[in-house]
Amino acid sequence: MLCMLSRWMISRAEDTGKEPPRIVVRHVRRCGVCGDYARAAASLSLRLKGERSAWLAAVPEFPSGLERDREEPEMAPLAAETARPRSRRPWLALRPLPVAASLIVLVAAGLVLFRVIPRETAPSAEDGVAARAAIKTLTSAPEGLRGAIGEAESSLDKERRILESSVVSAVDYLQARLNIKIERKEPPKTL
Amino acid sequence: MADQDPIAKKTDEELARDARAGSRRSFEELACRYKRRLFVYLRPRLGSDEDAEDMVQDTFLKLFRSIDRYDPAYRFSTWLYTSANRLAIDSFRKSAVARDRSTALSGQDIPDPAVVCEGEAGATGVWAVARTLGADRYRVLWLRYGEDMTIEEIGAVLGRSRLAVRVLLHRARTSLVGRLGPEAGLAARTPSGAARQAAGD
Repeated sequence: MLCMLSRWMISRAEDTGKEPPRIVVRHVRRCGVCGDYARAAASLSLRLKGERSAWLAAVPEFPSGLERDREEPEMAPLAAETARPRSRRPWLALRPLPVAASLIVLVAAGLVLFRVIPRETAPSAEDGVAARAAIKTLTSAPEGLRGAIGEAESSLDKERRILESSVVSAVDYLQARLNIKIERKEPPKTL
Repeated sequence: MADQDPIAKKTDEELARDARAGSRRSFEELACRYKRRLFVYLRPRLGSDEDAEDMVQDTFLKLFRSIDRYDPAYRFSTWLYTSANRLAIDSFRKSAVARDRSTALSGQDIPDPAVVCEGEAGATGVWAVARTLGADRYRVLWLRYGEDMTIEEIGAVLGRSRLAVRVLLHRARTSLVGRLGPEAGLAARTPSGAARQAAGD
């Protein structure tokens, strides 16, 4: 058992470079077989490395196989070709539903953000004539522009008068009914 | 010395980098450096020298076409042997299927590579003896002493853990010391070692 363990430790020392434990060193000194193993293992690596070139020299000469690839004179295009990503199926064909959904969302967002307003067409010659006629009627009113404005304001005065008369009649009614006197406030002073 | 080809002075990794950049000449130099080494590594697994040569050529062709995948952070030899190992496994599986079919058809046995190697082991030399140990042990010895790889690199090439590699190396060493016989001084002196050797270890 100790012999097996010692040999394993000797092997481990060969592989990792760690010194074997003292107990193993002592055992190797005492045990002739393990001592032989230790010496053989130590010389083995030297022998294997030393005879490597002779072992390789015994191999017969043969082509490396790259000659088969000689038809292609340049390697760069080949490397570039292999570096290029492989052709895939079009992604549209792979995921039609997500693509359609995203397109719809994009169109809707575009409509929300940018309202479509039809461009106003330039005024035609007839529109121009009509506008000029309207200005003419305005300027040729009985009292000119002020007359036209006064005409527009007259309706407002009429409404105010109606409102005032209805308020006055309501005040009269309340004074008579409740036997009180209602006075009109002074109008606020202008700043 | 001054007339020496500058490519020959470059390291494997520099050549691989040049090959990646498109230099065919650099890759040819790499192939020239490694073809014999790859041959002796693959040979025990395959039935004949011709098969091993074919495998070496296939490996170089494949690596030539995929050189852009090489990561210069790693040693070129590790990448090369890893790829060669994978190719050899694929080829071995295919040939095993083909062999099953052909033996089923012809009823003849194809000689076992280990037996073929055993016959050739009459040759002297520690590597010739190492080749008789079996493909796994020979390969791990080659990677360790022939290619000077670390335990981690061997593990990466063979797809095994560090401990598995160390166990394999230990067994290979013990077997080799046993096979070398009186020269190594182990098998002749221990009855258990001799018995193990007789049993084929």
